[in-house]
Amino acid sequence: MIGLESVSYRFPRAETYAIQDLTLHINRGECVMITGPSGAGKTTLGLAAAGILAHEYGGKKEGPVRINGKDVMDYPDLSSLSAQIGMVFDDPEAQLIFTSVEEEILSALERRGLSADDVEFRYRTILEMTHLASLKDRPPHTLSGGQKQRLVLATTLALTTDILILDEPTAELDETGTTALLEILKNLKKQGRTIILIEHKFRKMRELVDTLVVMEGGKIRAIGAPDEVIGDPQVQDIVIPDFKELNQTGRNALGDVRVPVITVNGLSHSYDRIHALNNIDLSIYPGEFIAFVGENGSGKTTLIKHFNELLHPTAGEVMVLGKDTRGMFIAELSRDVGMVFQNPDHMFFADTVYEEIAFGIENLGLENRDAIIEHTLADARLLPAKDLYPRWLSRGERQRLAIACVLAMQPKVIVLDEPTTGLDGRESREVMAILKELQYQGHTIIIVTHSKEIAADVADRVITMDHGKIVSDTGRRSR
Amino acid sequence: MSEILQFVQKDGIFHRLNTLTKILFVIVVSIISVFTISIPLLLLVLAVLLLLAAFGHLHREIFGQFFLIAMMSVIMIGLAVITLPNGSVIGSLVPEQVPAIGGSIPITLGGFLLGVIMALRFAVLVIAVQLFIISTRPRDLIHTLERLRVPIDFTLMFVIALRFISTLQIEGKRIQEAQLARGYNPGSGVGGKIQRLIPIMVPLVSNALSRANVLGLTIDIRGYRTRERTILQEPGLAGWDYIAGCLMVIVSIGFFAALLIRMI
Repeated sequence: MIGLESVSYRFPRAETYAIQDLTLHINRGECVMITGPSGAGKTTLGLAAAGILAHEYGGKKEGPVRINGKDVMDYPDLSSLSAQIGMVFDDPEAQLIFTSVEEEILSALERRGLSADDVEFRYRTILEMTHLASLKDRPPHTLSGGQKQRLVLATTLALTTDILILDEPTAELDETGTTALLEILKNLKKQGRTIILIEHKFRKMRELVDTLVVMEGGKIRAIGAPDEVIGDPQVQDIVIPDFKELNQTGRNALGDVRVPVITVNGLSHSYDRIHALNNIDLSIYPGEFIAFVGENGSGKTTLIKHFNELLHPTAGEVMVLGKDTRGMFIAELSRDVGMVFQNPDHMFFADTVYEEIAFGIENLGLENRDAIIEHTLADARLLPAKDLYPRWLSRGERQRLAIACVLAMQPKVIVLDEPTTGLDGRESREVMAILKELQYQGHTIIIVTHSKEIAADVADRVITMDHGKIVSDTGRRSR
Repeated sequence: MSEILQFVQKDGIFHRLNTLTKILFVIVVSIISVFTISIPLLLLVLAVLLLLAAFGHLHREIFGQFFLIAMMSVIMIGLAVITLPNGSVIGSLVPEQVPAIGGSIPITLGGFLLGVIMALRFAVLVIAVQLFIISTRPRDLIHTLERLRVPIDFTLMFVIALRFISTLQIEGKRIQEAQLARGYNPGSGVGGKIQRLIPIMVPLVSNALSRANVLGLTIDIRGYRTRERTILQEPGLAGWDYIAGCLMVIVSIGFFAALLIRMI
């Protein structure tokens, strides 16, 4: 159904090929999962298979790409190719154009040359299949990450194509969201659709996948039946991260356990009429590594934003190192609590990695600026990249830079919201190794994560939240 | 966070009107506000718009923009006073008591009134367009503009610009939070504030540009620009549309008649 023969591609002005000498044949009804480190060429391969590279991008292209036996260049334009292929890109926000779920799906269906009755019928079917019926009047930008992903998938299903290419569709999804998406994809596969899935969550998607393609450095590192491919230990290292070895026995990270670094008393928070947090009590002690887990919308991010006063309590109080955060400035609190957000690209504005790290240090007026930066670069394993433009770095390197920017401000507590989003197994482990080392150096580490493996294997204490409340707090050491 | 120029689901008179009627409404209001220099008439149009907003259950959204309109009005009056002095002097921008420069930058009656007219025009236009946009589904807007033979590229540009206002608002807030957590200080004084905008504006623009590529591909893949549309059951003109249309024709005739009589 899709065939790539020794396909290579180099972006305009790039010195190296993004993908090189790729040969791949995908049969009708097959599900192919493409995985590998960021920068390996996964998305470029997806764009090539969709015919988008051929029609919309400049640069140097070699080797034919065929869809249903016809070279993609023989299709007059992308619109005519879209009768065969639908693609879901990795940024759902950029693919939502209209102001309600209903409009978004109907607008895509209306352009497929269907009768009015057929449009209505397919609209109802898609709503049901993607579980969006109850949200049909909601503006897309008010949906959660998982709901947005489902909506983008719904609009792609509205294109009524036999081939679906999905680029990291579960990146922002929690366990329930990922399971829901998996069920939808299983259903589509049963209907005979061909699915190309660019993903990192191999374990979760295992039952769907017929062929696993592991990419590295623009080339196919391994291809075949999943069990066969992950039989190679080096490939397994990329596909399935193992965090267990990060917990080093014999190293004690706990500081003075009698005095909490953060104390939360009766904290509640409401957005308009929505109660996001409900009477939270919590103490966090020096040197702890805490993972907050829970479904999207359970209140995890709302809670951590109170630790540096980005949000003010509707009721209750938050104490950081014994000081009430009410009335304190965020800049003042950032000396004690560093916050790394989910998307590192929300931070970067400087011309070099070095200058980017310097920003926080200068804001706080810290002495020994250059020594701190050099030390931080080494800790974040970014010394070779110090003169590069931050946005040129891979996703994994950008995440490490985001951590370095905060680390350089020398806070006692480092809070990270979903630090492994969009990272492959190796990069996730690299980030976790840095955080674990920081914990052993005496920092208190707090992360929000959807990864069960990270929570179980890396964190000392796991706090589960649901509907704005803490429903379990395990692994807390006795005081 | 209040959202600017986004469709809101309500059940009011504006939501019941056909998109074509609302386009006519914006045109009539725009013509009146641009052609008149009568402050009482502009105040009357403004009052009518506010009443219509209240009847259309859209007053909260309109009043949500009060600060922006008030701020722009002050700037416009200030600019008119400084750059277009005309007629008798009624005061000065710099109070007499200020040593050396006291009494400079005179406020003239003509300049002040011109500023007031510009501010009222601005308020009328902003409110009229906002009533139209927040009561019209983008899909209805696209369909109507298609029927009016507006090129689809222009229509999509307009709709996407509206849609991405809220995205940029949210994105800007996230970027500001990320920079505040790095000890970012929004700065003081005009120069300082402009200088300190860089950590916010650079990521905002860079992220928006990286999204533009995906957005363009999405539009092409979905065939908005090239494929024929299936015509679903679409609302036609109803009783309210005919009433509103007749009223707008009467108002327009009356306005132009008054304008001609004055000219004669």
